[in-house]
Amino acid sequence: MPVDTATVITDVTAMLRAVLGDVGPEDPITAGSTFRDDLGMESIDVVALAGRLQARYGAGVNLAQFVATLDPASVGGLRVGQLVDHIVVSLNERDRNVADGLLP
Amino acid sequence: MVRVNGVALHVQTLTPAAPPAERTAVLVHGLASDTMASWYFTLAYPLVELGFRVLLLDLRGHGRSERPAYGYALDDFVDDLDALLVSHGGPGPYHLFGNSFGGTIAYAYAVRHPDRVAGIVAVESSPPTAAWFARLRRRLAELAAAVSEPRALATVGARRGARGAQRARDAGRLLAETTLRAELSAAVPPDPARFAAIGCPVLCLYGERSHVAELAGETRRLLPQARTQVFAGQKHSLLIDRPDEVRSAVTSWLREQIHLGG
Repeated sequence: MPVDTATVITDVTAMLRAVLGDVGPEDPITAGSTFRDDLGMESIDVVALAGRLQARYGAGVNLAQFVATLDPASVGGLRVGQLVDHIVVSLNERDRNVADGLLP
Repeated sequence: MVRVNGVALHVQTLTPAAPPAERTAVLVHGLASDTMASWYFTLAYPLVELGFRVLLLDLRGHGRSERPAYGYALDDFVDDLDALLVSHGGPGPYHLFGNSFGGTIAYAYAVRHPDRVAGIVAVESSPPTAAWFARLRRRLAELAAAVSEPRALATVGARRGARGAQRARDAGRLLAETTLRAELSAAVPPDPARFAAIGCPVLCLYGERSHVAELAGETRRLLPQARTQVFAGQKHSLLIDRPDEVRSAVTSWLREQIHLGG
């Protein structure tokens, strides 16, 4: 069954709130929120988020790998929706591979 | 978070999908405003691609780790690394990567446990020598003066937002409310003869325009096996400013040292 984007958005939003703690944004976190300008994330916060993603979804959703394909300067400009898309694509690909008997 | 020596440290581990990693790389960041992020977004994933299990930590007082009021001598940082590797390091020996003061911690760990270190990559760093501690004293004094300036925080706030200003304030607190500066300023470097214990290969990377590069000669005297590479036009922020060039230098050195495939 394909991964539900709405569920991933809910998961990621909860993780972002946990990472940002008391200094998180007052406005709602949406798919269009940018990591730096809207959420005020510092690079170390992105690392902490990556750790939570790994714990939740496994090593297959590798934010370090995803970020490695970006220019380091554009990590801050990343939108929540881009991360969610990456997670959904990675999880669907993993599920397909399992269904095809390629993994584990 | 991992609790070592009474302090909660922020630790992250990255592992290759398959096959299981035979080697562990430990990435150690520098002082004050630095965190594991400088390694995470530059070399962490490339090392996973080379087959390493990668362990990253925020040093005590830094990043998302706890900030105790005291306990910031070089030995305290080495004790933390030591305890972390015992509990989370896996079998070893380890490849230690250090940026700036992170390299100093790596060298000091290697003096303590030469048999547990397979290689050291030091970016803009030095073993704990008198000249290095003198530089550290000067830099910490400059930084303390800069962060005590309320205007500086307002500038950071305008540029990086509330959370950026909070991080800058955290770095300020590390200098103002802990004994870090006092403890490191009072440091007595170990007897240089002790560095002879380090037998593993060493790669030292420097920025041409950084004063740290002036310490390369002394590092080579202490560690004759050290390979040195200087990056033209680069500053102390070499790792952040030129991740691709650092990655390429590290990858070719690793391939040569441990005969990685590919």
